[in-house]
Amino acid sequence: MLPAGVLTESYSQDKAIIRTKFRWCAFFGFLLFLAFLPTFISRAWLGAISLTAIYLIAVLGLQVVVGFCGQINLGQSAFMGVGGIIGCVAATKYHVPFEISLLIGGAAATVFGLFFALPAVRVKGFYLALTTLAAQFVFDFIFVRIPPEFFGGLYGGLHVDSITLLTGHTVTSHEATYYVMMFLAGLFVFFTLNIYRSRLGKAFMAIRDNENAAGVMGVNVTYYKFLSFVVASFFAGVSGVLMGFYMGWTNVEQFSLFLSVWMLGMIIVGGVGTVLGAIMGTVVLRGLQEAVNVLGPYLSAVFPNLASAVWFPMMNLIIGVIIVLVLVFEPRGLAHRWRIIHRFYWLWPFPY
Amino acid sequence: MIEFFQWVLSGVLLGGLYASVAAAFIVIYRSTRVFNFAQGELLMFGGFFVYTAAVTMDLSKGLSIPLAMVTCAGLGLLIERLTIRPLIGQPLFSVVMVTIALMLILRSISMLIWGAMPLRFPDLFGDEGVSIGPFRFSASLFYGFITVVVLILCLWWMFGNTKRGLTMSAVAEGHDVAKSLGINVRQSLSLAWAIAGVVSVIAAASWLSGRSINYLVADIGLRAVPCALLAGLESIPGALLAGVIVGVSENLCVGYLDAYTSGGMSLIVPFFIMLIVLWIRPQGLFGWKIIERL
Repeated sequence: MLPAGVLTESYSQDKAIIRTKFRWCAFFGFLLFLAFLPTFISRAWLGAISLTAIYLIAVLGLQVVVGFCGQINLGQSAFMGVGGIIGCVAATKYHVPFEISLLIGGAAATVFGLFFALPAVRVKGFYLALTTLAAQFVFDFIFVRIPPEFFGGLYGGLHVDSITLLTGHTVTSHEATYYVMMFLAGLFVFFTLNIYRSRLGKAFMAIRDNENAAGVMGVNVTYYKFLSFVVASFFAGVSGVLMGFYMGWTNVEQFSLFLSVWMLGMIIVGGVGTVLGAIMGTVVLRGLQEAVNVLGPYLSAVFPNLASAVWFPMMNLIIGVIIVLVLVFEPRGLAHRWRIIHRFYWLWPFPY
Repeated sequence: MIEFFQWVLSGVLLGGLYASVAAAFIVIYRSTRVFNFAQGELLMFGGFFVYTAAVTMDLSKGLSIPLAMVTCAGLGLLIERLTIRPLIGQPLFSVVMVTIALMLILRSISMLIWGAMPLRFPDLFGDEGVSIGPFRFSASLFYGFITVVVLILCLWWMFGNTKRGLTMSAVAEGHDVAKSLGINVRQSLSLAWAIAGVVSVIAAASWLSGRSINYLVADIGLRAVPCALLAGLESIPGALLAGVIVGVSENLCVGYLDAYTSGGMSLIVPFFIMLIVLWIRPQGLFGWKIIERL
C-alpha cells in the first residue's frame, strides 16, 4: 500500500519493489542494522541467525514451488541433502572452489528434483505430495548405500573444510560466516522477488489458480511445472551445501522427512505465496526452535522418561500444533496479518 | 522351489498387514475425500491403547481390546472434530497440511506419554508358529492375516450394502449434493473417522502381538501408502489384492535381491511400485476416475 500521490509512469516503475524515498531510507537503514548486528549480539545468536539464513534459501525455493506454482512438495529436504552431499564432496574431496561447489550442489539437486518433477505433470494435490514423499525415501536409500569412498555413507559422515572465498579469505569466525550467509540469503530473496514479479512468476501463479484455464490460455503448463521444481531444487541444493559448510559435516540423517515438514510449516505459518511470508515463517519457526533449545533442561524435568531426548518431540508437537492453529484460524499466515496491521496504521483513523 | 513359495506365501501374509493399514486409508478417503497421512500414527496409538489396557491397567485380553477400540474411535472423533471439520471447504492444500501436521503432533504426544523405548506388546495368539505342509509361518502373521481378511470383507459389505455405508460413499462424491439430499454430512465424517480408529486397533492388535511397540511403529503408515494407491483409494477389497501384490514383491526382494544391495531394496520396491502406479494409472486398480472440468 502506497501513500497518496505516488504515481507510476512506466511499467518498470510499476513493478519496482521499493517505490518511495522513505522506503529507500528504511531499506538502507535495515542493511546497516544487519551489517552492524555482530557488534552487539552474542556469538551463539549469530550462529542461530546464520542457520536461519541457510534455511531461508531452501524455504524460498519451497515457496516458489508450493506458494507460487501450487505444487505440493514434501521432498525439499531430500533435494537439500542431494545438493549438500554432492556439493560438499566436490568442495572437500576434489578441492573445488566454494562458489563453484554451490553451483554443483544446486545442479545435482536439480537433476534429482527433475526426476520427481516428472510425475507432477501427471498428478496433482496429495498424489504429488506422495510422489515427493517418495523422494525422501529414495534419497535415504541411495545415499546410505553408496560406498564410503565416494561419499561418507550413513556412518561417519563427511567432514567439510571451512569456506574459502574466491577473494582468498578463509571464513572461520562466526561473524564472517554470518556475513557470507546473510549475503547469499539476501541474494536469493532478490531472485525470488524477481521471479514473483516477472513473466515466470505470473505463469506460475496462473497454474496455481486454475491449471486447466492456464493451459487453455496458452501457458505451457508442463514446462512451467518442471521449471518450478527446477527452481525449488536448485535453491534447496545451494542451501544444502551451505548447511554442510556451516555444520562442518554432512550426513544423510540431517535431511529427514521432518525437516521437509518443518519447512512446509514455515511457509504456512508465514503465509503461502509471498516472499515476505517465507521470511516471516522461517524467522518465527527458527526462533521457536531456539526457544525450545533454551528451555530444554526445564522440559526434561517435566518429562523424565525422555530425559535429554525431549527436544525432538516437544519441537514437533509445537510446530504441529502451530500449523493446525494457523490453518484453522489464519490460513493466509502471518504475512496477511502484517498487511492488515500495516494498512490499519497507514489508514487510521479511516477504515479504508 | 519350496523356498520360493515360502517367500511368496509369507509375502501374502505380509500383504495382509499392508492391506489392513490401507483399508483404514481407504475408509477415510472413501467417506471424506481426505487422504489421512497420519494413519500410521493412528495405528500406533491403537497399539499403545491396547498396551495400556492390557499391561499398565492389567485387564484381560477380552476387555482390553474392545476398550482400546472405543478409545481409539474417540481419538478419531476428536481429530475429526478439531482439525478436519473446521477445514471443510478449504482448498486441498490446507487439508493435506493438516494431516501432515497431525503426523507430527501424534508422534510427539506418543513419545511424551509412553517414552521412546520399545515396550513389550502382549501376546494375543500364542507363541508357536503355524505349519502348513512344508511351510512355516509365525502365529501372529497367520492369524493376523485371517483377522484382516474378515475385517476387509465386513467393511466391503458395510460400504456396499448397508444404508449407512452407501450414505458415506454419497458424501464422498459431493458434500453439497449430499446435503441437498438430506444426508447428515457431519455425522458421516465423524463415523468414518471413528471406523478408521477401530480398524487401526484391530490392525495393530493383530500385527504387534508378541512383538514390541514404540513410536517407530507409525512408519508402517507411510509404507502402506503404495498399497492404498495401487488399490485405488475408493476400493476396500482392492486393498487386499494390492496388499498381496506389494507384499509378495517386497518379500521376493528380501529373498533374492537384498543380498546384493545390503538390505533396503525390499523397502524401496513398494515406492517404485507407487511411482509406476502414479505415472501410468493414477486411479489405481479399482479406483474411481474423476474427470475435471473448467
